[in-house]
Amino acid sequence: MNLFRSEEHARRWPQFNRASEDGLGFIRLEDLVALFGTESRRHMLDADYLSAWYPRRAAERRAVLERAGKTTPFWMGTPGTP
Amino acid sequence: MADPRRLDQLFTRIMRGLVDTGRAPHYAELARALNVPLPEGRQLLLDVMQAYPIGWLHPETDYIASFPPLNNLPTQYRVSVRGEQTWFAQCGFEATSVTWLFPGETVRVQAPCLDCGEPVVIEMRDGRLVTVEPASIVGHLNWGFGPSRGKPPFL
Repeated sequence: MNLFRSEEHARRWPQFNRASEDGLGFIRLEDLVALFGTESRRHMLDADYLSAWYPRRAAERRAVLERAGKTTPFWMGTPGTP
Repeated sequence: MADPRRLDQLFTRIMRGLVDTGRAPHYAELARALNVPLPEGRQLLLDVMQAYPIGWLHPETDYIASFPPLNNLPTQYRVSVRGEQTWFAQCGFEATSVTWLFPGETVRVQAPCLDCGEPVVIEMRDGRLVTVEPASIVGHLNWGFGPSRGKPPFL
């Protein structure tokens, strides 16, 4: 889960997984900011974050990924995992 | 499983400790802060890590290695606030979430590109990107979200 200077740079990375080719593993920075800026993320310093906010993250993440068109198992991961 | 309020308390202590100092507290410090016996403090830490599995302890220790979005173990994702580089993000993706830990501040993340070593820089303020250098920066998920978890070489 890295940031690269461009897709070309990522493809030249010696540990680049060819299965993530063809755009499968890439995400626009703006989409990444949305994915990691959902409502629950804004409460990480709240006193009840772990019990009240963290459990919401899985659904939030799915919603953002769907909006970004990333609905493959590659992005959706294990169901229910926040 | 422990009392959810206790887990919340411990979670908040860890996250606040990381934000305030750049380092995660040890369970002995956490136990003292919560006024519980040391074994109970250690068990609470284990319970929190189980409830927050996107973080992890260093293998075969009770040391917090990763507590996203921040990392206790240094990574290439160096985080600076007010000009001080005190923090590390867990990975490039979590780096975009660190902004929420520093409301009202400009959070700078700088990392070497794993291809060329040249810098990748983003600055964020209250969730908004204010600097992206170079403009062509992309995120890359190498193994898929499930399998990527806990694969340190790829974080």
